[in-house]
Amino acid sequence: MKLLFQSVRWRLLLWYSLILLVLITGLCLLSYRLASNYRTDQIDREIRSFQGTFFRSLFASRPPSDKKDSESFDKILERLRNPAEVSSFPPELHALFEGGEGGSYIAFWDSDGSPLFISANAPANLCPPTTPTTENPTKYIEKGNFREHHRANPDGIRSITGRDIRAEQTELRNFCLLLALGGSAVWLAGLGGGWWLAGRALKPIDTIGRTASRIAAGNLDERIQIANTDNELDRLGHVLNDTFERLSAAVERQKRFTADASHELRTPVTIILSETQRALKREREPEQYREILANCRTAAERMRALVESLLVLARQDLPTSGTEPVPCDLADITTGVADLLQPLADEHSITVRRELSPTPLKGDPHSLAMVVQNLLSNALVHPPSGSTVVLKTFVSTDGTILEVSDDGPGIAAEHLPRLFDRFYRADSARGQINGHTGLGLAIAKTIVENHGGRIEVESNRGTTFRVVLP
Amino acid sequence: MRLLVIEDDPLLLHSLSEGLREELYAVDTAADGEEGLRKARETDYDSIVLDGMLPGIDGWELLARLRREKKTPVLMLTARDAVPDRIRGLDAGADDYLTKPFDFEELLARLRALIRRSSGLGTSVLEIDGIEVDTAARIVRHGGEAVSLTPREYGLVEYLALHRGSVVSRTELYEHLFDESDDTLSNLLDVHVSNVRKKLGASFISTRRGHGYCIE
Repeated sequence: MKLLFQSVRWRLLLWYSLILLVLITGLCLLSYRLASNYRTDQIDREIRSFQGTFFRSLFASRPPSDKKDSESFDKILERLRNPAEVSSFPPELHALFEGGEGGSYIAFWDSDGSPLFISANAPANLCPPTTPTTENPTKYIEKGNFREHHRANPDGIRSITGRDIRAEQTELRNFCLLLALGGSAVWLAGLGGGWWLAGRALKPIDTIGRTASRIAAGNLDERIQIANTDNELDRLGHVLNDTFERLSAAVERQKRFTADASHELRTPVTIILSETQRALKREREPEQYREILANCRTAAERMRALVESLLVLARQDLPTSGTEPVPCDLADITTGVADLLQPLADEHSITVRRELSPTPLKGDPHSLAMVVQNLLSNALVHPPSGSTVVLKTFVSTDGTILEVSDDGPGIAAEHLPRLFDRFYRADSARGQINGHTGLGLAIAKTIVENHGGRIEVESNRGTTFRVVLP
Repeated sequence: MRLLVIEDDPLLLHSLSEGLREELYAVDTAADGEEGLRKARETDYDSIVLDGMLPGIDGWELLARLRREKKTPVLMLTARDAVPDRIRGLDAGADDYLTKPFDFEELLARLRALIRRSSGLGTSVLEIDGIEVDTAARIVRHGGEAVSLTPREYGLVEYLALHRGSVVSRTELYEHLFDESDDTLSNLLDVHVSNVRKKLGASFISTRRGHGYCIE
C-alpha cells in the first residue's frame, strides 16, 4: 500500500479523483437544487392560480355587488358555507366536491375556528393554520406529500390551499438518482481517463528511468530515445543524454589512459624481469652483473619518471589541485628552467636564445616551471643538433605569452591535433628512450588550462609552441 | 637454431638477444619494422620474436607482409593484453602470443615449442640410436650419460636431429647456427662436426659429399 502511494501515477490519480469528485458532487448538488427550486416555484404558482380559479368560479354565477362592505363580506362567508352546485364549477374543480385522492384541495375557517368550507378531497386531519400572523399573512409549507399555502386574512378567515405533490417528489427523487448515477459514471470514466493520461504522461519518464538505470549499470553506450518534439521530457532526455555522453567520454578517456599507462609501465617491468632472470641463471663476471644492474636501473628510472608524470597529471586533474596563485614572473621562471636545461642543450649542441621581457602574472610558479621545462626539453631533444631554440615571453592584448620555437624539421600536420593527448607520440616509437614518457605535453596542457589559459602549436618549417595565459 | 628479435626498445632488445644467445641460439636483431621485415625476408629463421608496437611498420603489418612469402614461426610480444589485439595478432599469422611483462623462461619454452612444431615433432626429447637430444634441457645424453658439448656443437646436433633423415646443406647449417655478427670461417663447421663425431660416435653424423650432412 505504501508502495502504491509512493508511485507518482497513483498519487496523481488520487488527487485527480478527489478533485473530480468534489467538482461532480458540487455540480450535481447545484443542478438538484435548481431543479427542486424550479419545481417548488412551479407548484406554488399552480397553487395560487388554483386559488384564483376557485374564487373566480365561486363568484362566476353571482358576482358580489360590492365586496368592500361588511354585507358583502358576510355574503362571501355565506357563499363559502354554501357553494353553488357542483355543475356551476369548471370540471377541474369537481374533485373539490366529489372527493378522491390527489389533486389540489382548499379549506376555509372562520375566525372562531369553525370550518367554512373544506373540500372533499382534502387530507383527513386538516386543521386551521396557526402560524400565519397578521404581520406575515401567507406562508408555504411542505407537509409530507403535500404542499400547502397557509393564509390568514386580516378579517380572521384562514385558509389552506394544498396540492398533492407525490408525483413531483417521485420525479425529483428520480432526478436525484439519475444525477447520482450519472455523476458516478462520469467520475469513474474520469478516473479511467486520468489513469490512462497519467500512465501516458509518465511512460516516457519510466522509459528514461529504465534507460538511465541500464546506463548506470555499466552499459555506457546506450542513449535515451528522443522523439522529435520539443516538450519537457524530450528536453530532459537531451540533458540526460548530454550528461551520459560526457560521462561515457570521461570513462572512455580514463580507460584509455589507464590502459596506456599500464602499457607504458609494462616495457620497463619486462626489461627488469628479463634482465634479472638472465642474471640469476648462471654465474657471471662482475662486469656482466654491472651491465645487467645498469640496465635494470635505467628501466627503473623510466618507471619512476612515468610514475611521477602520472602523479602530476592526477594532481592536476583534481578540481582543487591548484595551490593559491601567487604573483610571479614568467620571464624569471623561464630563465630558471633554461639555466637548468643548459647542459641538455649543450649535449645536443643546440643554441638557446632568450628573448624574455618581464611578464608578471598570478599563478603557481612550480607548475608553470614544469610547463616551460616540458616544452623546452622537447625542443632540445627532437630537432637535429646545431639547431636554435628561441624562448620568448611578452605581454600582448591576448594576455601573457610564452613561446618556444625551434628551427627543426617540424611536426607532420596529421600529428598536430593529437599532440597534446596523453601518451601520444608523433614518432610512434617508444619515446621513453630519451626519458620521455609521452605525457609532457599533456601535463603542460593540463597545467595551462588549470591556469585558465590555452596552449597552441604551429609547425611547418620549425615548430612553435605558444602558451597564452590570461 | 637462429632467431630474429624485432623490438624497438633498445634495452629490451639487448636483454632479449643476450638472454637468447646464452641459451645457445644464434640471434639477429632489428630495431624497427623495415629492418625486421628485410631480415625476415632474407633469411630462413627458425623463429621470429616480434614486438607489436614498432615505429615505421608495426608488428601486425610486418606479419601480414611477411606471411605473403614465408611461413617462419612468429611469436608476438605485446604490451596490450586486450583480447581484440591478441586475436588480431593471431589472425595476422602469429603462431604464438606473449603479453609483456612475461617470464623469460616462458618465452624460451614457447620458442622451443614453436620450433618443435615447425619441425613436425610432438615431444621435446628426440631419440636416435641410443642418443637422446633433449631440446628443453638443451643437453645430449649418450647411453643415459650427459655428453658435454659446446653451444655450437649442441646447435649442430639439434638442428640435424630436428631434420633427421634429410640432408642438410652446409649453407643451411651456416644460416641456422651462426648469426649475422659471426665471422665464420668456412672450415669451422667441419671442426664442429668432427668434434661431435668424437663425442657421439663416428657414425652419428654421416657426410654426403657435395650435399651436406645428415643424421639417419
